[in-house]
Amino acid sequence: MFLQQIINGLTLGSVYALIALGYTMVYGILELINFAHGEIYMLGAYLGIILLGFFTAIGLTSYSLTLSIILTLVLTVIFCSSYGFTIEKLAYKPLRKAPRLSPLISAIGVSIFLQNYVMLTQGATDKVFPQLFGDRGIDFLSSRISLLQAAIIVAAAAVMLVLHAFVSRTRMGKAIRAVAQDKTMASLVGINIDVVISVTFIIGSGLAAIAGVMVAMYYGLVNYFIGYTAGIKAFTAAVLGGIGSIPGAMFGGILLGLIEGLGASYISSEYKDAYAFIILVIILLLKPEGLLGKASEEKI
Amino acid sequence: MRKLAVIVAIMILTLSFAAGCRKKSDTIKIGVAGPMTGDQSKMGMDFKNGVTLAVEEWNAKGGVLGRKIEIEIGDDQHDPKQAVSLANKLANAGVAGVIGHFNSSCSIPASDIYNRAGLPMISPGSTNPQFTEKGYRNVFRVCGRDDQQGKVGADFVTNQLKLGKVAVIHDKTTYGQGLADEFKKALGRSVEVVFYGGIVQGDKDFKSVLTAIRQKGPELIFFGGIYPEAGLLVRQAKESGIKAPLMSGDGTIDPKFIEIAGSQAAEGSYLTFSPDPNNIPSAKGFIKNYEAKFGQIGPYSIYAYDAGNILLEAIKEAGATDGKTVSDKLHSGEFSGAMGKIRFDAKGDVTVAPYVVWITKAGKFVEHWKP
Repeated sequence: MFLQQIINGLTLGSVYALIALGYTMVYGILELINFAHGEIYMLGAYLGIILLGFFTAIGLTSYSLTLSIILTLVLTVIFCSSYGFTIEKLAYKPLRKAPRLSPLISAIGVSIFLQNYVMLTQGATDKVFPQLFGDRGIDFLSSRISLLQAAIIVAAAAVMLVLHAFVSRTRMGKAIRAVAQDKTMASLVGINIDVVISVTFIIGSGLAAIAGVMVAMYYGLVNYFIGYTAGIKAFTAAVLGGIGSIPGAMFGGILLGLIEGLGASYISSEYKDAYAFIILVIILLLKPEGLLGKASEEKI
Repeated sequence: MRKLAVIVAIMILTLSFAAGCRKKSDTIKIGVAGPMTGDQSKMGMDFKNGVTLAVEEWNAKGGVLGRKIEIEIGDDQHDPKQAVSLANKLANAGVAGVIGHFNSSCSIPASDIYNRAGLPMISPGSTNPQFTEKGYRNVFRVCGRDDQQGKVGADFVTNQLKLGKVAVIHDKTTYGQGLADEFKKALGRSVEVVFYGGIVQGDKDFKSVLTAIRQKGPELIFFGGIYPEAGLLVRQAKESGIKAPLMSGDGTIDPKFIEIAGSQAAEGSYLTFSPDPNNIPSAKGFIKNYEAKFGQIGPYSIYAYDAGNILLEAIKEAGATDGKTVSDKLHSGEFSGAMGKIRFDAKGDVTVAPYVVWITKAGKFVEHWKP
């Protein structure tokens, strides 16, 4: 049972980690908690269900399931990234010189707007999607990993590796790190801040879109409200790992998934949502910068 | 220019006030309260359609006490806080009685408000025992109670299926936990409860609790709750390799349950619910009229229809719309509804509450076992 709970926790944690990356990257650069980020994930889940439904209707899923899933992922990433890009340009950029609270409130506004927009266009009831994978899975050591769980864990790990390579190896990655360290200095050495910020939002939204599609397939159920809980959990994961730190978000997400899974089975499933926040409070008291975060020094 | 704007604004305000204090209308209003929006809106629509049909039939015969009947629809969004504010709103709107609410967690706090206002309230769907246990004279329900429902489920598991081990989960709501507890209490000595616990309503991931349940090897999982969670539970139980069937109550009997679970996974799930209206002779006319107007009947359409008829019948017999007289009439009278003869006991419960066990077969609910 322990191994099974680890598998469950890893699946959930991978999704949290993917969403948490978007929070942490934006915070690293703008020091803004992008509350609309959970809604991007929700949009991704909706589009995932709609596209998969469309592909089933035209018969593509029965022709090649892999192809239709890849196509869904690509289209959803493009769609959500353009949402992320547009939201930044419309709601955050005009407020970049405003007090720090203003973009935060703007983010909450965007979040409420997107929720209600989806509720009005897609309806308030749950959207259901039939299972594509059946209950195929691999049994080992009295545990069971379903095909979808394996796919989620592997895909999330691959995406995170690519992201890590991008940030540490490429010129753009270097620029992102530079802007995160000091915006003014970065612009003095010729980095276009606006481009870097846009790229950050595009990447973050793309990751949330991938998480959304995976969840849509995994649970087969989407409603306009899922972005809220997922967003809060992912934000917790980001803070847990150290907000602003990319490895921290990955680590925090996985850790949160494991805590929830193990807590729900060994202590009580009734307080599943509470474990994450209890851990958060403890971490904030003992190590406020997060598990992998660097203690920030006052800039001189 | 500015002065003009102010004058226009004042005019608009006065006009809207004037519209607000219309003359007292000479129609009789009855309230319909339930979840009209949100994920349980289907149940709300059943309420609305059932009562609408009843009222239209009365109006075609000339209304009640010589006055036409009007419906005031209210949405409680299955939120207890909304339910209380809606109850206040309906009481202030001067309705003669209320058909509602659906969720026990809404009906119970709302009943306090209706009791204070002296309004008769008939719920077509709240099955929690607490609802009629407050000693209010104005509270009624046309459906059964969870203790009766849980008993039928437990009877089926103990004596018909003759199982030895069951797991019991609930969604921590008044309805869900109430039903699960009544089921657990009524189980025979031969049945062991190997797991008992709650989940969070609105959660989507039950893998960890299901893994813990799988470890205990129950032969059946009883779930007290509503269909979105029940559907996900069945789906994820099959994914986690659990073979035991799910059993649940009337909150799960909705086509969406099968849709969410997938018809393969839902196959063989048991549900306790009232008998199929299609098998009740007195319901023939109702079903024909309802389906001609609104399409297929929902699980609560017939309850709402009967509740509406009973309220209007009581008003007619009482010869008044005053809440106390109508409530007294409801307690003393015998009413013939689409479901058969209905009488209320001193608490406001129906004297005979028939529950049967249904099963999911090939993507449909069918009657399976009568106690």
